Amino acid sequence: MKHKALFLVASIFSTLSFAQSDSLVNRLEEVVVTADTKLQVHSVGYKVERLTDSVILKNTESFTNLLRFNTPIYLREYGSGGTSSASFRGTSSSNTAVIWNGININSVNSGQTGFNSLTVTLFDGINVRSGGGSIEYGSGAIGGTIHLNDNLKFTQNKRFKNHTLFSVGSYNTYQGLHKLKFSNKKIVISAGASYNSSNNDYPWLNTDYKNTNGAYSNLALNFSGSFYLNKQSQLNFYTANYRGERFFSGELPNPTTANDKYQDFSNRNLLVYTNKGVAFNHEAKLAYLTQEYRYFADKNSSNFNFGKSKRMLVNYNLKYSFNKIRASITSFSEFENIYGSTDQISEQNRRQFSQSVVYNQNLQQKIAFEAKIRKDFNTDYSVPFTYALGINYKVHSSWFLRVNGSKNYRVPTYNDLYWPGQGNLDLIPEIAAQGELGLGFKNNKFSADLGVFYIATKDKIVWTPNGDEDRPGVWVPINLSEVNNKGAELALSYNGTFHNHKLQFNLNYSYTEAIDASTNKQTIYTPKHLLNFNLSYNYKRFLGFYQQLYNGKVYTTASNSEDFIVPDYAIANAGINFKILHTNANTLQLGVKVNNLFNKYYVIQPRRPMPNRNFNINVNYTF
Amino acid sequence: MKINKLLTSIFILSILCFTSCSEDDTDSEPRGDYENGILISGEGSKSTGTGSVSFVSNDFTVAENLIYKTVNNVELGTYLQSMAFDDDNAYLVVDDANTVTVVDRYTFEYKGEISTDLELPRFMVVSDNKGYVTNWGSTSDDTDDFVAVIDLSTYTIEKTISVGNGPERIVAHNGKLYVSHKGAYTTNNIVSVITIADDNVEEITVGYKPDEMFLDNDGALVVLCGGNESWTGDETEASITKIDISDNSITSTLSFEEGEHPSLMVLDDNTIYYELDGGVFNVISDASSLPETPIIELETTFTYGIAVKDNNLFITDAEKFADLAKLNVYDLTTKEIISTHSVALGASKIYFN
Repeated sequence: MKHKALFLVASIFSTLSFAQSDSLVNRLEEVVVTADTKLQVHSVGYKVERLTDSVILKNTESFTNLLRFNTPIYLREYGSGGTSSASFRGTSSSNTAVIWNGININSVNSGQTGFNSLTVTLFDGINVRSGGGSIEYGSGAIGGTIHLNDNLKFTQNKRFKNHTLFSVGSYNTYQGLHKLKFSNKKIVISAGASYNSSNNDYPWLNTDYKNTNGAYSNLALNFSGSFYLNKQSQLNFYTANYRGERFFSGELPNPTTANDKYQDFSNRNLLVYTNKGVAFNHEAKLAYLTQEYRYFADKNSSNFNFGKSKRMLVNYNLKYSFNKIRASITSFSEFENIYGSTDQISEQNRRQFSQSVVYNQNLQQKIAFEAKIRKDFNTDYSVPFTYALGINYKVHSSWFLRVNGSKNYRVPTYNDLYWPGQGNLDLIPEIAAQGELGLGFKNNKFSADLGVFYIATKDKIVWTPNGDEDRPGVWVPINLSEVNNKGAELALSYNGTFHNHKLQFNLNYSYTEAIDASTNKQTIYTPKHLLNFNLSYNYKRFLGFYQQLYNGKVYTTASNSEDFIVPDYAIANAGINFKILHTNANTLQLGVKVNNLFNKYYVIQPRRPMPNRNFNINVNYTF
Repeated sequence: MKINKLLTSIFILSILCFTSCSEDDTDSEPRGDYENGILISGEGSKSTGTGSVSFVSNDFTVAENLIYKTVNNVELGTYLQSMAFDDDNAYLVVDDANTVTVVDRYTFEYKGEISTDLELPRFMVVSDNKGYVTNWGSTSDDTDDFVAVIDLSTYTIEKTISVGNGPERIVAHNGKLYVSHKGAYTTNNIVSVITIADDNVEEITVGYKPDEMFLDNDGALVVLCGGNESWTGDETEASITKIDISDNSITSTLSFEEGEHPSLMVLDDNTIYYELDGGVFNVISDASSLPETPIIELETTFTYGIAVKDNNLFITDAEKFADLAKLNVYDLTTKEIISTHSVALGASKIYFN
């Protein structure tokens, strides 16, 4: 009942502040070099939320928690630090695409990204765009996209900045991070390293057990740079390396049986050349990405299952601007060559060419709109023609309306197609058509965005026993279900200063119905209600913050049986930071954070209790 | 839970009645809510729901799901592979949790558990106050499979007997244990014969994927060998094989057609019933050939359990493992469904209590 009360308070609060309101929407005005121009320029009509440095630094423990406490995304995690996946608007986790500097990095084998296999503190900006984006980002961009960007900035004067973070937390959790940035008029270099490790053996509330076999450690190294070639052109490069090892914890009633281990390695490289003229802009990209995982069913054994992939990508974009009518037309051409294999699947090669065209125009500074089309050609299956339309209409100085509609797809994964004895070569891509209408408000203190959405997905790929008549008793992926999602999302933000007192508030609430057409019931693991808010108060060198999450009940059976549910839960974190040293050049900040402040028992996945109250002390030094 | 309460009150009333008004018929006192009925064990699924046991009364009027959870207020976990019984207890084998949970077979009250020294336990049999549990061992090792011997007075494992890869069903008879080796994650083609007195293990080669085993009226061991499916790239013939247990020789083999891979078999009153491609067939145990037409065409999505008792055929349909399963009871004379119940998620085994 407590959560209900909290929810009520939150809704009252949100209605009150709705009348006023700030800043989540298209807040990307800074002039920085980013490789993800599509996000920057071609998000007309979409809601894009930006997680700034200060937000990221409040949830450095994991990418999963960062998203859980700051975005309208549902995160499903197999115990803290375990396998984790993300869903937008009631779509499945394979309908969330993760975009690294403009490139979709979902795994070729599984079609997903593990949200505990990414270190995000090294990135300069994380953006979350709700809504379909297959035109820009290809397969899997159905529910929404999550963008990890390195932002490079040329400076008039030579600048050298360092940021060091060190934190110690409960259960022997250690984190170290160092980021440096060098810039002048002609060159920008950014480098970072981060290391995380934890025993992660938190006691399971209400039981005699600990989270056994839950330890993890990972190392990430990022390096990127930009070179000014001449007035028109520049060359940028980005690299990101990650290697992680995790153990998978067990579940009740006997968690001590857990014995598996998972390792993953990724290496991503991107080179971008841009040439900007008065009318013509050229952009050429070259990327090489590798990914590998190793799964040890028995951590003491040297035997493992693996999956790996290599991707080569060539991209050429040409933009022509009709400056008089504030319009532009852009062509995106991309060729991709993918090699993927697992211990079960011999190396398979997929080649793909895609061509998209985007027309963008601004009418009398009031209406911005975009029309986009894309066609893919693929060696494995045919991908349908996709299109999208986005409109932003400035109703009044602070009020705007946004509309978008798109057709998106998800292609079958290598596992779906080639798994021995079970793969299905007759699969076709899942198709989702969707529409969204939003009303927004924005001034220098408040912003608000209320949107309603509808997504109709058909031919969803589902692994089903007896899926193929010729293979009785075998689980086979087939194009089976049809799901219709509808709902509403509300985002609120407030930034206020009264003398030396700064107050900041952000809230996300989403209501989601995702109805399976065959059963007329809510799809499993889709909470109807999802709410989070962050409140922070800053006075001179002191900052205090509070984070709250309410995650509604989810059903785990197709019939929505009340006997098989994951109950709703409300959890909170709080922290205080104090700047010991604060000059123009140097800042030394000490912070303490309490996670699960009220020591609540909760599970996200049945029989896997999540961490009890735990503590973290951190030091941030920028110089 | 209402049913449970109702049953409890009936139980209390009946005790009152029996103790007060009937002295000569104490045998028929119910020993718990779950006597005189059918127990259905369901494997459960990691993300959908716990392994569980359902109860359906012999007259099909009372049905209750999640009985272990209802009585003990905890979940069994995944995957509830099978159950074994002795006079007082039921033993619930949960393979992924490496646990055998002991409950009173009639009240389902928790009595204890064995949660160490088991590794992917599959099936159990009780003989002379000892429990014998087949174990697959480590998933990445084909050579560490074993039969664990449980002392049922202390619920501890007193020793293990090393056996070939993928031990599955286990039958105890006359001081011997018979173990079918379906092959765990791969396939195998042996039946092990263990002499309880000295742990001596002998192997009989049969068809690939031997699974269900029963002793018929003549004391012969009837084994269903499902055969390797074509998608394995090494298809082999399925068969029902009879073994003379006096000398461990194969006395007869009823072979299936190429491409046919039956996976469920049960023996009742010397008649073998098996499921193949959506039909249930029957054949007397000493037949020389297999029938061509089924006695019943099932309308199931995924037939996962079979049992026969008192001229009734019990079939579970696990459907897509995304929800409760279905139990259909057929009258073997009329071939009609006489009762249907929603039962445990991933329902795979049926026992008569």
